[in-house]
Amino acid sequence: MPAISRRRLLLGSAGAWVLAGCSRRPAAELPQVSITLAPAYTQELYGSLRRILSEHKLEVRGQRVVLKPNLVEYDSARPINTHPLVVHAALEAFSALGAAEVRIAEGPANRRNTLELAEAAGYFHTIPGFERIFTDLNLDDTSLIRLRRPASRLDSLYLPRTVLGADLVVSIPKMKTHHWAAATLGMKNLFGVVPGGIYGWPKNILHWGGIDGCVADLHRVFPRVFTIVDGIVGMEGNGPIQGLPKAAGVLVAGRDMVAVDATCCRIMGIDPQMVGYLGLEETQGQTREEGVRQIGEALGRVRTDFELLPAFAGVRLRRA
Amino acid sequence: MQFELSRAVPSLRDAQNQDGGWGYRGGASWTEPTAYALLALAAAGERGENCERGLAWLEKGQRGDGGWAPNRSVDRSTWVTAMAVLVLAERTGAAALPGAYGWLLAQSGRESGYLQRFRDWLLGLSQEQNVSYRGWPWYPGTSSWVTPTALTILALEKGGRGRLDPRRRERIESGREFLLSRRCSDGGWNHGATRAWGYSSDSYPETTGQALLALAGFQEQRLEKSLRCAEGHLQTCRSAEGRSWLEMALLAHGRSPSGFPKDDLTLDSAIDRALIVVAGAARRGKNVFLS
Repeated sequence: MPAISRRRLLLGSAGAWVLAGCSRRPAAELPQVSITLAPAYTQELYGSLRRILSEHKLEVRGQRVVLKPNLVEYDSARPINTHPLVVHAALEAFSALGAAEVRIAEGPANRRNTLELAEAAGYFHTIPGFERIFTDLNLDDTSLIRLRRPASRLDSLYLPRTVLGADLVVSIPKMKTHHWAAATLGMKNLFGVVPGGIYGWPKNILHWGGIDGCVADLHRVFPRVFTIVDGIVGMEGNGPIQGLPKAAGVLVAGRDMVAVDATCCRIMGIDPQMVGYLGLEETQGQTREEGVRQIGEALGRVRTDFELLPAFAGVRLRRA
Repeated sequence: MQFELSRAVPSLRDAQNQDGGWGYRGGASWTEPTAYALLALAAAGERGENCERGLAWLEKGQRGDGGWAPNRSVDRSTWVTAMAVLVLAERTGAAALPGAYGWLLAQSGRESGYLQRFRDWLLGLSQEQNVSYRGWPWYPGTSSWVTPTALTILALEKGGRGRLDPRRRERIESGREFLLSRRCSDGGWNHGATRAWGYSSDSYPETTGQALLALAGFQEQRLEKSLRCAEGHLQTCRSAEGRSWLEMALLAHGRSPSGFPKDDLTLDSAIDRALIVVAGAARRGKNVFLS
C-alpha cells in the first residue's frame, strides 16, 4: 500500500479541516484558552460543555468529529481515565452543534481488551449505544504517515484512518502528572491514536523514539485538534496510573494544544517551560502566561499544586 | 451465553473474509485473528474449506525475511510471526517454518542487547527491570514484553515437537527466565512492567494465563504463588480472553479450574470466540498451544 505523506494527507483533507478561525489567525491574536469551574461530575457538565464550545465558536455542522478520551487501565480508587460523563457531555454538545457524526475512539496502551476497560470505566453505563459509536484505534485500519522533519527518532508511523479521516479530532485527556514526561494532557493523549495492533501493548516504539519528540511529531501530524481537559478530579504523584486523586475542579479547553497544555501545567503548579514536548512545539510563546488569551476563571484562583515525584522537583512553577 | 458458546465455531466460519483471513471485529484481515481462528478450527477438529482458505491466506502472508506483518498494509514483520508458527506447526513439514524460526530467533528485546546495556552502564542509567534475559518484543527494535515472549516460547516449543536444537533451547530458557523476572508482586503478570518509580504494578488475567502456559513444566516449585494468583483472577475475570488463557494455563499445570462465573462473559472479537473454542478443547485434553 502506498504511503500517504503528511502534506498530501493535509492537502487532501484541507477542506474538511474546518474549525472556525483556525484557517488564518492574525499574528497578534493570542490563542484562546478557557478555564471553566466544574466542581463535580454532575449533570451540570452538559450545560458547561455547550457553553465551552460556544465560547470557542466551533463550527462543526455536517462534519465528522472524533472524541479521543484517555482510557488506560481501571482502578476504582484512582482517577486514571477521562470521566465518561465529560465524554458524553462533549458528545451531546457536538451533536447539538449539528455534527454529522460524533464517534468516540481510543487505543489504550497496556490492556488489549478495550471494551472491557471501557465498561469498567463506566462508558457503557453512561453513554447510550457506546459500542455502536466506539472505534478501538488499536485495531483500526491504518495508513503510513511519513514524518517530515521529525522531532523524534522515528521517520514514519502507521496511524488509524478513523482519526486521519476526521474533520475534527477532540482530545479529552485527564489532567495528570506523568512519571516520564512531567504532565500528560492534550498533546500526550495523542499517544492513544498509535495502533497497538501494529506496535504492541504498550506502544513501546514511542518510548524508544523519545517521548517528547514523539508527542511533538503527533502534534505536527494533527495540528488542529480541539482539546478539553478533564481537570475536575485529576491525578498527582506517580501518574499516569499509580498516582492519587487531586481535585482541581476545572475544565480547560482551546484550539491551540500547546496553549491548553501550558495553561493546565500552570494550574497544576508545573512550569510549562520545563516540559520538554511543549518547548518543542511552542511557536508563539504559548508556554508563557502572557502568550495566551485566557478566558473564564482566573488562573490564580484555580491553581492547585499537584504533588510531583522527587525526580520532577525542578519543574515546580514558582508562585508570583 | 450458552447459545453464544455453542455458536462460537459457526460464528467464526461466518466471520471469515472473502480473502480467507479474519479481522478482529469484522473488517480487513489481520494475521493475529486469522491465526487464532485457524487454531480454533483445528481445536474443533475442522478440516474443511474454511481452514484451507485461511491457511492459504496465512501462508501467502509470509514475507521475504521469514516473518509476518500484522496485516497486508504493514511493511514490517512483527511478533505475529509467532502466531503464524503456532498454526503452521500443526502441519508436519510446512515449508514456511524454517524461515519463520530464523526470524523469531533473530529477535530479542532491545534492552537486553550488549550495546544497549553498555550504553546504559556508561550513562549511569539504572533499570528497574532485570535486562539480562532475552525476551521478545512486539515490534522489532523495541523492548521485550510478556505477551510476545510467552507466545514465541509456545511457538518455538510447539514447532520443535520435543526435539529442540541448542540455540532454540537456550532462547526458550532465557525467555522463561525473562517471564519469571517480570512477575508482579501478586505473583501474576501484567504487560511486563512490574515496577515504576518504585511502585508495584498489579497483574492482569490474560497475561498471567499466557505467561503461566509458557512456563508449563518449568520449575514448578517457583510458580505456586503465580498459580494461586491465576486461580484468584479466574474467580472475577469476565473476559473470554482472560478466562480462556487462565483455564489453559491452570490445566497445563495440573490444576482443575473451577468456580468462575460462566454466564456473563464478554465475547467481543474473533479472538474471544476462538479462545473459547481452544480452551474448551484444552479441557478435553487437546491444547493447540502445546506441542
